[in-house]
Amino acid sequence: MTAHDPASRASREPARQPAADSAADLAALLARTARGDEAAFEAVYDQVAAAVFGVAKRVIRDPAQSEEVAQEVLLEVWRTASSFDTGKGSAMAWVMTLAHRRAVDRVRSAHKATERERRIASTTDIPFDEVAEAVESALERERVRRCLASLTELQRESVTLAYYGGYTYGQVADLLGVAVGTVKTRMRDALIRLRDCMGVAG
Amino acid sequence: MRLTWPFGQREPHTLAGAYALDALDGQDRQRFERHMAGCDACAQEVTELRETTARLGTATAVSPPLGMKAKVLAAATRTSQHTPAVPRRSTRRAVLVAAPAMAAAAALIAIATIFGLASSDANQRLDQAQQRNQAIAAVLTATDATMMTRPVTGGGHATVVMSHHMDALVFTAADLPALPASQCYELWLSGPGGDRPAGMLIVSGHGMVSPVITGRLRAGDHLMLSVEPLGGTPRPTTPMMLDVPL
Repeated sequence: MTAHDPASRASREPARQPAADSAADLAALLARTARGDEAAFEAVYDQVAAAVFGVAKRVIRDPAQSEEVAQEVLLEVWRTASSFDTGKGSAMAWVMTLAHRRAVDRVRSAHKATERERRIASTTDIPFDEVAEAVESALERERVRRCLASLTELQRESVTLAYYGGYTYGQVADLLGVAVGTVKTRMRDALIRLRDCMGVAG
Repeated sequence: MRLTWPFGQREPHTLAGAYALDALDGQDRQRFERHMAGCDACAQEVTELRETTARLGTATAVSPPLGMKAKVLAAATRTSQHTPAVPRRSTRRAVLVAAPAMAAAAALIAIATIFGLASSDANQRLDQAQQRNQAIAAVLTATDATMMTRPVTGGGHATVVMSHHMDALVFTAADLPALPASQCYELWLSGPGGDRPAGMLIVSGHGMVSPVITGRLRAGDHLMLSVEPLGGTPRPTTPMMLDVPL
């Protein structure tokens, strides 16, 4: 072939939707995992382990405990893959729900109140200094960070204290010095705004 | 039915946001789940909000410890599953034999990775990676940064984050078709004056493509991508697969 032809540039066939593809892939892999397919489970691991470990580490902080919880979560994915229901959200959301809940339960049972007080100061922004990350995940982090920045301060603090700090909404109300009813509605408003900001599949 | 809610709340379904954030404790959580069982709208809302909280979670992704994969896969072989759809005894037995081998292979790969990294110029490569990450972070966090995602002809998609202020862009692509070893993807800045090579893409472990920073943007430039012989060429030799006006 010689010099390129401008007329043939870019797009002859419509490209796939990559985000939707990988979501469908993960759901299909979970279905195979539910039938005892260990190769499928390994592929599931490759897709979700970094996110599962990341959220555990973010909430729990202690690396050893975070790894323990991440392992428990991934094993739970293996055990309960058959209970994943495609009609009730994406596969990634299902996995992240398992991961976050277990991390939060761990931190609530294990940490003394005094230890947790100290963590408040650092829960409100996402660290950007983890080296050697895939660029795609850096982009996703940046997208989330921007969307968090678009919230009101009270919305943002309510969401980050609850999600990244593991606090209950009653505790969040105490920490922020506002009524529980206010925190409750701010959390819901914030998530709706984040949803609109981040787009459906990113 | 009248439920007694903490803090005198009469409308438990407004707790959907707090529930999706796992901000309800033991009893509250159970009560809300009972409520949700009879409230389709609440369940639907929680499902939607969970997609958003999941994004808060995936944004924290970090590489797990190297040995974790082998541990998890080995543990899975020892752990029975909840009501699998079809019990298939014969294949399951075969899988049970194969699984430790799979875990061992995973461990070997992990070890190979460590040794690969530890060899010869590891420090230099780490330094380069760090510098590149810092450069990327600078573009991503620029106040005027804009992000564009476009499909690539032939499969995959490309994302460009660009800062006019810094005269720089970060390019990344995912799900591009694999190339034979003799070829590579090459980026081009294409303007009124012709096509200028803008660097080769590096295929990383997960089919992702590492970023290229360019600092030589001109007015009217388009960013383009083509398949070229390994090492790159001064002029494109195959049709462009991507055209992003900058």
